[in-house]
Amino acid sequence: MKYLPLIFRNVMRNKIRTLFTGASIAVSLFLVVTLHSLLASQDEIMERTKVHDRVAVLHEAGLAGRIPIAYVDRIRKVPGVVCATPMSWFGGNYREEKVQFPQFATDPKEIFNVYEEYTIPADQLKAWQADKSGCVVGSVIARNKGWNVGDKIALQGNIYPVNVEFVVRGIYDGPSTANKEWLLFNFEYLDDKLKKENHEARAGNAGIIMLRAASADAIPAVMQTIENSFASSDAPVKPMTEQQFAQSFTEMMGNVRGFIRYTSMAVVAALLCVAANTMAMSLRERTREIALLKAIGFSQSTVLGLFLSEAVLIGLLGGVLGALGGKLLFASVDLSKVAPGLGLFFIPWKTALGGLALSAAIGFFSGVVPSWRAARMSVVSGLRKVV
Amino acid sequence: MAGLYSRAIPARRQIFTASYRDGLLAVHQSPSRKLAAVVPIKYNIRSVFARKVGSLMTIFGVGMVVWASIFAFGLSAGLDKTLKVAADPLDVIVMRKGSTSESVSAVSDEVANIVKELPGIATDREGRKLAASELVIFGYLPRRGKTTKVNVTVRGVVPVSRDLRESLHIVEGRDFKPGLREAIVSRTMSERFEGLGLGDEFVLRGGSFRVVGIFEAGGGAVESEIWTDQTVLAQLVDRTGAMSSMQLRAASKTDQEKLIERIKNDEQIDLNALTEEQYFKEQADQSSLMKIVGGMIAFFLTIGAMFSVANTMYGTIASRAREIGTLRALGFGRTSVLSAFLLESLVLCLLGAVLGCLGALALGDLRTGTMNAATFSEIVFAFDFGPKILLKGAMLAILMGLIGGFMPALRAVRMKVVDSLREV
Repeated sequence: MKYLPLIFRNVMRNKIRTLFTGASIAVSLFLVVTLHSLLASQDEIMERTKVHDRVAVLHEAGLAGRIPIAYVDRIRKVPGVVCATPMSWFGGNYREEKVQFPQFATDPKEIFNVYEEYTIPADQLKAWQADKSGCVVGSVIARNKGWNVGDKIALQGNIYPVNVEFVVRGIYDGPSTANKEWLLFNFEYLDDKLKKENHEARAGNAGIIMLRAASADAIPAVMQTIENSFASSDAPVKPMTEQQFAQSFTEMMGNVRGFIRYTSMAVVAALLCVAANTMAMSLRERTREIALLKAIGFSQSTVLGLFLSEAVLIGLLGGVLGALGGKLLFASVDLSKVAPGLGLFFIPWKTALGGLALSAAIGFFSGVVPSWRAARMSVVSGLRKVV
Repeated sequence: MAGLYSRAIPARRQIFTASYRDGLLAVHQSPSRKLAAVVPIKYNIRSVFARKVGSLMTIFGVGMVVWASIFAFGLSAGLDKTLKVAADPLDVIVMRKGSTSESVSAVSDEVANIVKELPGIATDREGRKLAASELVIFGYLPRRGKTTKVNVTVRGVVPVSRDLRESLHIVEGRDFKPGLREAIVSRTMSERFEGLGLGDEFVLRGGSFRVVGIFEAGGGAVESEIWTDQTVLAQLVDRTGAMSSMQLRAASKTDQEKLIERIKNDEQIDLNALTEEQYFKEQADQSSLMKIVGGMIAFFLTIGAMFSVANTMYGTIASRAREIGTLRALGFGRTSVLSAFLLESLVLCLLGAVLGCLGALALGDLRTGTMNAATFSEIVFAFDFGPKILLKGAMLAILMGLIGGFMPALRAVRMKVVDSLREV
């Protein structure tokens, strides 16, 4: 501890060098931490929503399959199921926008029971339930598109051959894990519309069925019962927990995890070289000084410790700036405005602290060889050396 | 080897010749020839190698950054290229109005027959119209070694479909026989998916299909598809009276415009038509997230590397103060010293760029698959490590060298000659 001022002075002796090394580590770590968070924030959201015991029921043929709407009632009767709702992806185009936002045809009476942590004012919910051509939207998308209660939203069918128009009856909110970028509307509205416009063959598709089980323990039995009871029907289904369901989406993106890992590894290797180089340079300049330290009685291990701490400190400087600064940055800006779908993005503590540890490790390993050399250097030749 | 570098120097200055040998700068007073104030390039290149470990570390660091950037660029460029290669400039895709991808579209047979009779459609040698109604559905298969399944595109085709994709040819096995549950798959799909090996069977909407042939199609979106007989597929999914979309080829560019116009505006038809190029361009636009991520990686890494290049150069310059002083004393001007050190940092970075490019090329023909954001189905593509992408990576390195080297080089010229000569 008593060496702390000395270490600190050493860190600050060449301010530009320390600053640049720190900045280099900070910028690169910021990148690594951000990339990892793209995946980790999804994982963490899923981890946190686990308490809600939800199960998604999909067609065996995946999202493209049809689940008859009658299945919803049958699933509600399965022991252990508290409530269930259809969630049929409408996939309409809004105005001339290229990127779609999620729109689901659902059951207004049940959807907020299934998503129990989502909140909506009681009068707005009632108004929506009373108006078949009404919809509710998430608070984030409402803010980004400038929608208010009473506004009209027209969507052009893409998957379905009908165009729809809704009146916004409410705006829902929820905890940080809630997806606040949905538009929810009445399933019956879509069904009626399809039948009226002679597309009866397309009507009655529940899309997926989302249900909430009584408890986590009930989930395996519920999934088993559902899978078995529809196994020999026209539309066999595959139930999966909400977490598995979300994972299947990440999986679809392909080997993204692998690529992020390769890139991160390259970045860390590059950083290690760079930091080691700086450390070596800075110790080379101090050859005489180090010899002097040893001449007046500092032991090898103390010298080694001194310089290793210096390297770790520089690494940490970058880590604090890059990893913690990144966390702060993403916590204070709202990404959903620039990139729809990224509204839930944040840097989890685990990743930020992992980044910090990584920066310390980079500092440590970059200092090993130069410090070891410095500690082992013979005093006589060191003192004699002209740098 | 002692090199002599001599050109005009301002006459009022003392005239020397500088020679550089084995890391030592030697100065000779030369006869009355006029010298130029250009520091020999060899001096910088040799300086880079005089500090082997330090330079190597920097080169390696820059190389890694260039490699990672090329990797990121190559990913998004590869995806883009796959979606572009598919397009024959005269091809037109016909879909239901409002549909953005074939799999969600529907075109009734009735209307399809009207479209096929429109003027301006190209014909093949036997006089057949180059227009095909095709059925596109999603299969749901696991990638090799994975348990979760993803959507894959299955296309039910008719004989004319082949004429519309001349590049498709079977490289292994045979073609499927009409009326049988047989399929041909692309080589890439066959390698990536469970049950798609030659001779394997896979389940599609409750029916079992046998893979009888492997095809290649010169890259492009077709290489992400499974092809089978249209009648068999329609029966399986119980589709009658309508297929998904139409593929047709116009006889000429003007015919193409007229055809598209007609299909869009004719009340009897009332469908959406767009060139294949446009169709894939819109899909590529939807995959822009990859581009953003790739750009972000390159941007941050380049900035990070700039700092470290600056550090290295500061280090070299500090330890070579005497040398710099000597150069200045010899009469090399500020500009030439500045450019000499900028050059040195460029040399460092370009060596790194070479390393990074070689590293990327060493990956070879790297293929992967991801979800096509427009269709929600798997698209397989090869990374693009073409000259353009490598050049982009090298440009980043040049940027690092110039910006990272500038401040240190400035310091080199600002040093007082007297002080730096005195330095030990």
